[in-house]
Amino acid sequence: MEAKLSLKEQKEEKKYFKEHGSKVKPTFGDIVFNIINYAFFAIFTLSCIFPFYYIFINTISNPELVTKGAITLIPKELTIANYVAMGKVNDLWRSVFVTFVRTFLGTALMVFTSSLAGYLVTKKEMWHRQFWYRFLIITMYFNAGLIPWYLNMAMLGLTDTFAAYIIPGIVSPYNIILVKTYIESIPGEIEESAYMDGASYWTIFRKIIWPLSKPILATIAIFGAVGHWNSFQDSLILNANSPQLYTLQHRLYIYLNQSSNLGAIVNSGAGSADAGTLANQLNTKIIQYTISMVTIIPILCVYPFMQRYFEKGLMLGAVKG
Amino acid sequence: MSLSGVSSSFKSNQLKSSNSINKTASERIADKIYWVLRCAVVMNIVALFFPAFNPVRISENVNKNMSLFSCALSHEAMLSNFKATLKRQEWLEPAFKSLSFCAVLIVIAAVVAAIGGCMSLGNRRLKKFGLIFSFAAGVIELIGVLQIKPIVNELSVLSYEAGKFKDMKLLFPNIIYMFIALAAILLVISVVNFFLIPKTDVSEKLEMEPRFQLFLMMLPIIALAFVFSYLPLYGWRYAFFDYKSGESLSMDKFVGFKWFTSLFQNAATKRDIVNVMKNTLAMSGLGIITSWIPMAFAVFLSEIKNTRFRRIVQTFTTIPNFISWVLVYAIAIAIFSTDGFINTMINSLNGENLVTTNYLQSDAHMWLKMLAWGLWKGVGWSAIIYIAAISGIDQGLYEAATVDGAGRFAKMWYITVPELIPTYCVLLLMSIANILSNGMEQYMVFSNAMNWEKIQVLDLYVYNLGIDKGLIPLSTVIGMVKSIVSVILLFAANGVSKAVRGESIV
Repeated sequence: MEAKLSLKEQKEEKKYFKEHGSKVKPTFGDIVFNIINYAFFAIFTLSCIFPFYYIFINTISNPELVTKGAITLIPKELTIANYVAMGKVNDLWRSVFVTFVRTFLGTALMVFTSSLAGYLVTKKEMWHRQFWYRFLIITMYFNAGLIPWYLNMAMLGLTDTFAAYIIPGIVSPYNIILVKTYIESIPGEIEESAYMDGASYWTIFRKIIWPLSKPILATIAIFGAVGHWNSFQDSLILNANSPQLYTLQHRLYIYLNQSSNLGAIVNSGAGSADAGTLANQLNTKIIQYTISMVTIIPILCVYPFMQRYFEKGLMLGAVKG
Repeated sequence: MSLSGVSSSFKSNQLKSSNSINKTASERIADKIYWVLRCAVVMNIVALFFPAFNPVRISENVNKNMSLFSCALSHEAMLSNFKATLKRQEWLEPAFKSLSFCAVLIVIAAVVAAIGGCMSLGNRRLKKFGLIFSFAAGVIELIGVLQIKPIVNELSVLSYEAGKFKDMKLLFPNIIYMFIALAAILLVISVVNFFLIPKTDVSEKLEMEPRFQLFLMMLPIIALAFVFSYLPLYGWRYAFFDYKSGESLSMDKFVGFKWFTSLFQNAATKRDIVNVMKNTLAMSGLGIITSWIPMAFAVFLSEIKNTRFRRIVQTFTTIPNFISWVLVYAIAIAIFSTDGFINTMINSLNGENLVTTNYLQSDAHMWLKMLAWGLWKGVGWSAIIYIAAISGIDQGLYEAATVDGAGRFAKMWYITVPELIPTYCVLLLMSIANILSNGMEQYMVFSNAMNWEKIQVLDLYVYNLGIDKGLIPLSTVIGMVKSIVSVILLFAANGVSKAVRGESIV
């Protein structure tokens, strides 16, 4: 609508609103509404960030004060001792490493596969294209259930392996639809002219489709990476017997549960020895907070870059097969 | 969709598929025979991954859940049980080495056969070239498979001499005959087709029709989808057997629908199920009842005229969506546990009578608490889709309404909300279709001894039953019923959507 108005008209319109609009006094109801509205959103927003802030100030304050419960709203006697102490917890860093590697590898393979599949299913001349496309997409709408899935993974020898994190996630029907929809919006002429020049499908994919679909690939990469970083179930179910392969979320879960009955751990010596020895020096809650912070920080770091992909990511829910 | 017209237009410009134009009669026969070869290749590859088809499982000591592929991958894993039962087995090592070698050979043969099978989709020259691979695959496979029998004999002799024959628990893997047959098919067909396909010009390029090129590029992706999304359905068979984890499936353990009926007959199970279903439906129901909240969130947020404030709200309320449930639980601990923020705050305000309530350890209002955490985590994110929809509403509607004297609420109710309703309906139908799947992470992390009864939902129950207690058949039955009901609900929701809005949601 606005584009249709000429510049002059727009200026006049603005002038009109300046002169007349501002003179319209907000009614009493308006004021009340605005106050309530602003207050609600302010409180809700605070509730979303305050926990992170609270955890953070507890990890950078003097542990003794934290133990006494003296830290509520502002940090006191800043220190990084808690983070330094975490350096000794080997299995934590092992999990950080495992999670980083899986996030990187898993996302890279998923993005590559989704883009290739998304490109291929746009090619009408493929042998039984429609059938294969449906074959992939249908998997979004049913699953055999947790136990058959687990038994299948065991049958394939993927339990207690690192590969169990990567391989099952490579084919992602949602993302294939997303890429396909995007590629369909690229003008076909570009591709056709390359085809005329004798380029193979692979060359077209690599030299034309791949660069042109970068925005959507970035979107699925971001969401895929967050998914990998947050993954917990596969570690819990498939790699339960391989502590060296636990993901960070799984490790955090264990620490949260162990530390909540810390006395038992310290006395019996069971569970993670690292958590036990540390607990003697640091308060339970500081251990939990610091590990939580280690887990959150990467997400908060990429978060600002993610925001511009939100709208595209929303297509996730809105697109159709 | 714009591409469809274009791609059909340059379909005519594709490589000239010479072999489809002037095919000799013998070549047509060869094309038919190729289907047998391709089936053999697929069977060969599938057999690599099924433990039931493992030709190197020459003893009960080899884990029955190991496929040929995993045997070939790891010599150590294959023999781990031998080490446990026969403490020292150096005298077996040479025989086992050659057994592993057989496994590797058969895997290599399957790969080579697959390459040959792919080439069979090409032009004459490529086909002929591919036949060499098929032949080689047949030879390699035969070498590998035929060695297994002598190895079994050797092992039995060795173990008999060492007096360990019983501990060896040797089996003769009858499945090797299937592999011999597959190898024979490869050999015979590659020879026959070599003569059936006419001689080719040396100048002819190794080419393939575009439709098959594209298909072969797609094939690995299809295979992965099959293995990880379709193959698990094969696990539904456990629902009909009396199976304990670690045992093998055999027909004498077939129990038909025993587990299905036990869901309703066994009193303890029945009580559990009723409780779990109550929790599941209550929490999903609460989710559905409150599903308008993100829409309201978006509508009221758009009433805020201060852009900066609006952006801040949007930015920070979306963060919880991107952290895992484990982290949400960490936050819950930080705020609500014994020495969490709330207690600390109360104690710092009144020094006496230290409060040490652990809000997480009670089972009061569990459903509402779970709902609240779900909303806290998801509302900001779910609102984005509505915010995007609101920004797409024609501003002229609002201006016209203003002129007609509509107030703020009238505009919200009569313009904004109706514009959002279609989106809302789609999401609502989807959440109805997902009524049984509330996931298990949230409930698992928040569960403890106190709130156990109130928090256990279907997904969590299946996990506890199957993974923790090892009741595989019963949990498979529940998962199976759940999957089927979910698919039916999805179709129903889709049908409703089609009937009401004329648009499908899947």
